[in-house]
Amino acid sequence: MVQRISLAHGEGGELTHQLIQEVFMSAFSSKKEIQHDSAVFPIEGKRIAVTTDSYVVQPIFFPGGNIGKLAITGTVNDLAVCCAVPKMITAGFILEEGFALSDLNKIVHSMAEEAKAANVKIVAGDTKVVEKGSADGIFINTTGIGAISEQVCSPAIKKGDCVVVSGTIGDHGIAILSARNQLGLLTDVQSDCASLHSLIQSLLEQVDGIRLMRDPTRGGLATSLVELCEDFQFSVELEEDLIPIRREVTGACNILGFDPLYLANEGKVVIVCDSTNKDKVIEIMQNHKYGEEAKVIGKVISVNDSNGKLYSRTQIGTTRRIHRLNGMILPRIC
Amino acid sequence: MDQRGLSKTYKAVKIKVGGRVQGVGFRPYVFSLAKRWQLNGTIQNNSDKVIIHVEGEEYSIEHFLHHLKESPPLLAKITNLEHQPTVYKSYQQFSILESDLTGSPLPAISADSAVCQDCLNELNDPSNRRYHYPFINCTQCGPRYTILEKLPYDRKHTTMHSFMMCEDCLEEYGDPMNRRHHAQPTCCAKCGPSLSLVNQKREVIAEGESAIRGTIDALTEGRIISIKGLGGYHLACDMKQPYAITHLREIKSRPTRPLAVMMRSLEIVKQYCHVSLKEEELLTSPIMPIVVLKQKINRSLPNELAPGLTTLGVMLPYTPLHYLLFKLGGLEGIVLTSANSSGLPIKYHDKDLFEKGGLSEFSLTHNRVIKNPLDDSVVEVNGLDETYLRKARGFVPEPIKTTIDTSGIVALGGQQKNTFSIGIGEHILMSPHIGEVDNEEMLDHFIQQIGVYKRIVNIDMDHVAIDKHLGYSVNKLAKDLSPNVVTVGHHHAHHVACMEDNGVVDPCVGIILDGTGYGEDGHIWGFEFLYGDAAAYKRLAHMCYCPLPGGEMAVKEPWRTASGMILHHWPKEGQEMAERLFPDKKAEISILKKMVKLKINSPMAGTCGRLFDTVSAILGVCLKSSYEGEAAIKLAGYMNENYLNARSIEKVAQSYPFKIIQSAKGPFQLDFSPMISQIIQEKEQLQLEEIIYKFHQTVVLSCVEMILALYKEKAWLPKRIVLSGGSFQNGYLSRELSNSLKQKGFKVYAHQQIPCHDGGLSFGQLIIAAHKVKNEKLK
Ligand SMILES: [Fe+3]
Ligand SMILES: [Mg+2]
Ligand SMILES: [Zn+2]
Ligand SMILES: [Zn+2]
Repeated sequence: MVQRISLAHGEGGELTHQLIQEVFMSAFSSKKEIQHDSAVFPIEGKRIAVTTDSYVVQPIFFPGGNIGKLAITGTVNDLAVCCAVPKMITAGFILEEGFALSDLNKIVHSMAEEAKAANVKIVAGDTKVVEKGSADGIFINTTGIGAISEQVCSPAIKKGDCVVVSGTIGDHGIAILSARNQLGLLTDVQSDCASLHSLIQSLLEQVDGIRLMRDPTRGGLATSLVELCEDFQFSVELEEDLIPIRREVTGACNILGFDPLYLANEGKVVIVCDSTNKDKVIEIMQNHKYGEEAKVIGKVISVNDSNGKLYSRTQIGTTRRIHRLNGMILPRIC
Repeated sequence: MDQRGLSKTYKAVKIKVGGRVQGVGFRPYVFSLAKRWQLNGTIQNNSDKVIIHVEGEEYSIEHFLHHLKESPPLLAKITNLEHQPTVYKSYQQFSILESDLTGSPLPAISADSAVCQDCLNELNDPSNRRYHYPFINCTQCGPRYTILEKLPYDRKHTTMHSFMMCEDCLEEYGDPMNRRHHAQPTCCAKCGPSLSLVNQKREVIAEGESAIRGTIDALTEGRIISIKGLGGYHLACDMKQPYAITHLREIKSRPTRPLAVMMRSLEIVKQYCHVSLKEEELLTSPIMPIVVLKQKINRSLPNELAPGLTTLGVMLPYTPLHYLLFKLGGLEGIVLTSANSSGLPIKYHDKDLFEKGGLSEFSLTHNRVIKNPLDDSVVEVNGLDETYLRKARGFVPEPIKTTIDTSGIVALGGQQKNTFSIGIGEHILMSPHIGEVDNEEMLDHFIQQIGVYKRIVNIDMDHVAIDKHLGYSVNKLAKDLSPNVVTVGHHHAHHVACMEDNGVVDPCVGIILDGTGYGEDGHIWGFEFLYGDAAAYKRLAHMCYCPLPGGEMAVKEPWRTASGMILHHWPKEGQEMAERLFPDKKAEISILKKMVKLKINSPMAGTCGRLFDTVSAILGVCLKSSYEGEAAIKLAGYMNENYLNARSIEKVAQSYPFKIIQSAKGPFQLDFSPMISQIIQEKEQLQLEEIIYKFHQTVVLSCVEMILALYKEKAWLPKRIVLSGGSFQNGYLSRELSNSLKQKGFKVYAHQQIPCHDGGLSFGQLIIAAHKVKNEKLK
């Protein structure tokens, strides 16, 4: 049977992981770089970070943002979590024949606005138009270049280190889902789509002991943490009770049968830090407009774990092992 | 000299007895039997058999053999007995030889057994040295598997090794004529374990008999007490105090799932419940399981015991300690449920019990260590058939004979009601019921249980068999056990489990009525008509698919499953129909409609369990289930004969319409939408019981008609049908379907000793894997 790409290969879960491992990593023989959202390397004595990302979100306009804003914040965040200060962005557009020019204008303007706010320059671009049906309105690819700041993370993770998230999770996932399908969910949850470079910079400047950072986008908090645990060989136990989730998001999840841990975020960062600095981390985050609801949500329970795992203590006192997002979750109970 | 003169003949025979014949007092029994018939010779245990050599007068030997076959010791279970003439050796006496462990390695592990009548008599006799001693036991009763560290079963290999036998006990133990001859856990107040009542700080408050009296007082006052039993700790409270029961439910986080009770005596049980002869036999058997009985209509027991149900799980005091708890006080019955929070493994070590101060204020405990934890077994009787809902105490682990070599294979079962199975030659050892393995604690417990088996029966694990569902927790263990993983279809495993349970090896038809299992086409199966054997199978027919909006959430909330089915069958008016049925879910239903349409988290399923859920929700019997199978169990509760009679419900042979969709290419399909729409109409007109009765008959009839349609098209199909899957826990369904098919001339096989629900999956998986391994070897 011919194996073909399914939508699940793009969900950021188990199949995406397999695709990266078995197709891309083996062909490009790059290992180290893929552990992070950006590649970091020296050029003429300076260390720089490079990342690239494509944006295909539907609908292109959604509560809290649009595809253009997302194309900037996503790339800014991928640089920021690698301790880079975003400097330049290139943008490539694939437009479908018949796409409204006014919509393109709106999108490009929000890109410009967000880039200005994030203090990055859009330095180069490319445009292709494809026949009707060959694309869905507009696709954007952005590549970001950042300069590694003087303060960087040191991933010397210790047992007892804290896991911190900068705010409520699942907002983007629910906002997109309800905007896309007009499910009639009685929520006005907005996407959390935001550039986090300034929040992250203040953390790096003011606190020691930040070990690792990741922006939990596709696949949600769960998948991001599972990847960190596996790549950096440590195990984490979350406290289900402590994870900040909006009431409306919980409500929507209760109806849809989704687990908020797997919903996408576009303006959150999850951090592993030394437990002695956790109060400082929380204070700095909570003083920033994008970190007001920051919380410690768990801790590192073991290190040098060749098989790092993610667990969660449930409200009824049991421990649940959390895996990567794995396609549609079929019921297991009889 | 014989009076009849010189006509008597002397002979010698060699007898081999297989089955459960070790650790059950078999040798002392044979010893006294030989004495009685004045026969000489020897008896010897080997690894899996008892070998007897007797010689003497022919007439006596015949009597000896007759007794051996017809009235073996209570706990013995003879599966085969061979005898043949042998050389006369002129023994001067009958003697018991040292065990010979060189034979086949099939382990003979005895099951724990309820206290026997002889021990009870001693327990009640003030002149006996074990008067009121709560650990009295003998070769016919007491702990076995739960105290076993390794084989062979000898005192030094049990947790009783830390107690040195006193002279009196030692004498009994060594005397072949004594009923405690080689009773490995034998002890007395002087040399054996002792009781204590402790508080949350583990301070001893009372000891010995006053610990029992203290416990009785506390229970009578309405307190919750932890009591150390055979296979773990129980939480107990007075069954007559609603407040205490509610409190216990809070402690255990078990809001509505029925609780089992232990009642003082059979007479008391009969005051509250209907007890058939078969049920009485089970209640008082050496297994003494929890028997699910029908409560009397004018029962006076608190509703908190089994909210919304007409049944109640009841057992009798099975240890001397339980017996004394009733004898020394006035309690009629106590709730007895494992002392762990819902969803966590059974507690059986003191250190675990007192974790975070423990669950109860006081604990009645003792110093006989439980090595292997074990739940209580649960059985339900339908007519003359018993259905084991949970096999644990009193059963395990007994090798089950198979039709194929299973060596080196382990099967991990499913997700809920789980068991594992281990292959050993042409036998399978099945684990006791472990329960739902969905958290890390249960997973650790599961691994530990596999460890117990490895310790007891040293076996290799070359292959590991698992379900095809990617999400089952135990599947993640497979790779650690063996690199050779065999995946098995859920319903194929059910089908083969029932075949093997009945010794059927030739391909046959199977009707698998089940909850939710992963189907080979990525959808959820559970109302299946299969044809095949352990090597391969084909799907002949199934119930048509409907969406489960919310996935697992739908299984927990039957109103969703019902809405999904209605929205699927009636895309136009479905929303309004569902809204009328579930008026306070209006907002949700409009979202569900979009989920179904856009296929958001709405897996497709065609299962009997979900059909029951749908009907249960439509009738308002259960909209949200707080424990596994609640909606179906409650629906089946209305089929209770006594209840129907009391409410004078007419049991007319009526059913609802349904459709059989035939197809030349794919499997036939069963469409119940005509039934659903009629049930919705009749909801306002008929009594609930009548609708439920008709619904049950429809399910039976639909299966029969589907079978007839299939045989009409495929005349070559063999007329053998196996019935498996969790829905057959429903007594009416299994009885009626089996009878109806028999009337049509089919040979019908229902489950015997393997559970029909997912507890039997590991057994089926193992057989399928064994065939696969065998075929690979042939290639
Ligand atoms: Fe099943
Ligand atoms: Mg990215
Ligand atoms: Zn006894
Ligand atoms: Zn003694």
